[in-house]
Amino acid sequence: MKKLIAMLLALVMVLGLCACTVTNNSTPATDAPVVDAPADDATEAPAAPAATTEITLWTYPIGGWGNQETVDALMADFEAATGIKVTVEYLDYTNGDDKVNTAIEGGSAPDLIMEGPERLVANWGAKGLMVDLSDLIDDTDVAEINPAALNACYGEGGAVYEYPLVMTAHCMAINKTVFEAADALQYLNEETHTWNSVEDFWKAVDAVYAYTGSQVGSVFCGGQGGDQGTRAIVNNLNGGTFTNAEHTEYTWDSAENVAALQALVDCEGIEFDAGIVGGDEIAYFYQGQLNMAFCWNIAQQLNPNTADTGAGLTVSGDEILFMAFPSDATPQLCGGIWGFGIFDNGDEAKIEAAKTFIKYMCDSEATADAVKAANYFAVRDTAEGADLSGIWADNEIMNEYNKLMPMLGDYYQVTTGWAEARTAWWNMLQAVGSGEDVATAVATWAATANGQ
Amino acid sequence: MANKTVKVSKTTRRLVVHENIAAYLFMLPFLVFFVMFVLYPMFMCVYTSFFDANMGVADDVFIGFDNYKELFNDPIFWKGLWNTLIIVLVSVPVTCVFSLWVASAITKMPVAATSAFRCIFYLPVVTGSVAVTVVWKWMFSKFNGIINAMGTSMGLLDKNIDWLGDERFALACIILILLTTSVGQPIVLYVSALDNVDKSLVEAAEVDGATPKQAFWKIKWPQMMPTTLYILVITTINSFQCFALIQLLTSGGPNNSTMTIMYYIYYNAFKLYRYGYGNAMGVILALIIALLSAVQFKVGQEK
Repeated sequence: MKKLIAMLLALVMVLGLCACTVTNNSTPATDAPVVDAPADDATEAPAAPAATTEITLWTYPIGGWGNQETVDALMADFEAATGIKVTVEYLDYTNGDDKVNTAIEGGSAPDLIMEGPERLVANWGAKGLMVDLSDLIDDTDVAEINPAALNACYGEGGAVYEYPLVMTAHCMAINKTVFEAADALQYLNEETHTWNSVEDFWKAVDAVYAYTGSQVGSVFCGGQGGDQGTRAIVNNLNGGTFTNAEHTEYTWDSAENVAALQALVDCEGIEFDAGIVGGDEIAYFYQGQLNMAFCWNIAQQLNPNTADTGAGLTVSGDEILFMAFPSDATPQLCGGIWGFGIFDNGDEAKIEAAKTFIKYMCDSEATADAVKAANYFAVRDTAEGADLSGIWADNEIMNEYNKLMPMLGDYYQVTTGWAEARTAWWNMLQAVGSGEDVATAVATWAATANGQ
Repeated sequence: MANKTVKVSKTTRRLVVHENIAAYLFMLPFLVFFVMFVLYPMFMCVYTSFFDANMGVADDVFIGFDNYKELFNDPIFWKGLWNTLIIVLVSVPVTCVFSLWVASAITKMPVAATSAFRCIFYLPVVTGSVAVTVVWKWMFSKFNGIINAMGTSMGLLDKNIDWLGDERFALACIILILLTTSVGQPIVLYVSALDNVDKSLVEAAEVDGATPKQAFWKIKWPQMMPTTLYILVITTINSFQCFALIQLLTSGGPNNSTMTIMYYIYYNAFKLYRYGYGNAMGVILALIIALLSAVQFKVGQEK
């Protein structure tokens, strides 16, 4: 009898909860106030104030878009202009994916998300979870947006799963003060931020190693954090590629890449470190333990380090010089392209409101502020007539860094099986670093990346 | 008289029913959470393990035992299982023996000293695992870690070692960190267990000429068996579920030398979105833990 009552009570409670869930799910989408501006209108200009609609935005820490104070100001302006209220949640790169994926599985994904094509296009877009934003891109947008950035936002079938806002090029950095003392600055061009040649890059490493007697650079491979740096150094050294041009196959088992990896293994001043990831490498570079960093971009160049010695300086005050990766051709830098995507939550009103948000942030007079908030470069020269090319005119470092932007290479992070390939990459580096034959390790792990 | 008896009986029955209902109502909140957050996920874990369950809009495809077949042919799974077993086989006995030794030593001290040592050994347990891990990560750092600094300054090391990045040392480092965070609770439990030992029996044994060693093994140890059994079970489970350390320090590397089943489950489920495959591993892990716990209980009860 007791067991029966216990079972009945449990059943009632569970059914009651299920009923609550059903009630929530079955709330008609039309309950949400409809935004006045349709998609086509939204492409023209920010919508006029409409009935209050609330949407949610989850953002990864993309420059100042991870800073609540900065984002609050942008959201307040947007709400004043459109009447749409945006609730923002801030993700980090350690647990952000887990949080989003859990929300997707639980049917509570945000309306808007800010990140790059590897997640918005290659992951969630490819899984059919995102709204096609093709209707937001007209011929003017195609003409104005950087082609490499825009191409990365297209998924299969020509659907657009990300509307790009900002971009940057990932690069490397050297401790200029130490390089100068080691007489290694002769091997590079400070003006263009490029190496004279690959051979000169090796000479520079040798010179600094001879001068300091300690490790110069690190092929970090403790995990995937900052792995664009290790991919870029390997690919650029001998002109190799990470994927084919069609983004259908991982090509890092090519002879060029194997030779580059072998050269890194043979270099005394560079070691493979399975105990650190990109963030650690940056910290050690700031602290002067390393005199070269492969995981670098404008965010690191601008951010004062923990000792607060100022932008572009190590904790001991040494000058940091950002550099393109060594290449005998034009360096191919990995790009960071960030923008907005919309999760298809089945609520047309919220989707329209989210589209209004995207056009406001990415293609309106407000775009300059949205770009500046990110501390990166705009993906377009003009937005609805507003000139964006000079928004960093007053910032010397940004202007200087802009020299690297033409070196933006293929955005291959949208290749199928990206998550597996990234893991295979740092596992391969670990194997190479622990003494395994380079060609064998590369062949094994490239096959894993290609799903063989 | 007979009517009165019947009336009392009915009232009693009604009271009992009311009491039962009240009891069940009190249990209800826990019951709800238990069903929602324990039973339902457990059921879904087993259920999903028979599907090719991936994140996406497409329906999951029923594949029977294919996930199980795949994982038994997956070398990384076996590597993870082997590493997990090494962690369990090393950390469980060491934790128990060390805890018992520390507890025996500090119970003989003055009360203030006992309390102080109890606090010291318990500190790593109450300190956040992330904070503890970050400190250890710094200590093991190849570039500015204190262990390398001490080793080189004392002439024990020729050059700095990448402790967490070298597959010869990485797992040992993980086990060492795990031990420091695992011994706190067993020490506290053993101190309590030693305090609760019937002193009169010990005194009687000593009067009869028993040595301290004999008194410990013949009198105290049997009385501490339930505590030991509990410690064995929770330490085994904690060791099997070692995840945060791996996630924060090595991501299973280098060359899968610190890969554990828990981390491999996480990696498959949340990095590759292979929920079905991850859940199949979860089921196997649960079965292994259940089997080991049952053996421990059986052995403990017999003793």
